[in-house]
Amino acid sequence: MKVKLELFGASRDLSDKDFLEFNIEKKISIKDLKKKIINYVDEKFKGNENYKKIIETSAFCSEDNNIISENYKITKDQKIGIIPPIGGG
Amino acid sequence: MLHRKIIDLKKEKIEVKKAEDFISSSKFGASLIFKGTVRENNKNKKVTGITYDSHDELVIKSFEEIYGEVDQKLKIKDKAVYIEHVKGYVGLGEISIIIAIACPHRAETYILSRYIIEEIKKRSPIWKKEHYENEESEWLKGNPIQVN
Repeated sequence: MKVKLELFGASRDLSDKDFLEFNIEKKISIKDLKKKIINYVDEKFKGNENYKKIIETSAFCSEDNNIISENYKITKDQKIGIIPPIGGG
Repeated sequence: MLHRKIIDLKKEKIEVKKAEDFISSSKFGASLIFKGTVRENNKNKKVTGITYDSHDELVIKSFEEIYGEVDQKLKIKDKAVYIEHVKGYVGLGEISIIIAIACPHRAETYILSRYIIEEIKKRSPIWKKEHYENEESEWLKGNPIQVN
């Protein structure tokens, strides 16, 4: 299945596009998706520590716009939003 | 009565006049308009502008939740609230957010306006990328959003 990770704020620096796509073999928790994103940073950005910190401190949101916990399981093709630390106004 | 919107600056402008019109009513004796604008200096760096990013649906949801809890938390029932936040590039001195409030009495407007801006800063998924004089830019460090 495919997980489309929509990028916001500082996480936009992870790609020229607005999203990252991950091919996943079976269902996956947000906690494990985070590990996959960190692996991506290791490969693509030589383990850039700032990027890793952004991922570690981010929340995630489901396709129906709810903030989800690390235990949330993705079981089918889905869009997930990464929500880095916020500060508007 | 609530108006809430994300203004995509590529498509439209943010306008104080619309906020004034929305909250205008003879049943309210006090009104207050808060504007957030881009300032020229941050942490000793000369700022030239800010690009705002937003998760629109979550931001609108947070505005509605903040408005919805005011009855209970602040005991302010009678009110008009207008909240708009921009996304896109904002130059120096330009407006990033408008919070316009009208209530029967002045004390409520001050309390409500302050409450809303502080809660937006804590809860609404909005991000700032500051641009500097030397053509560098940087996403500002924010606060992690709370996961229940």
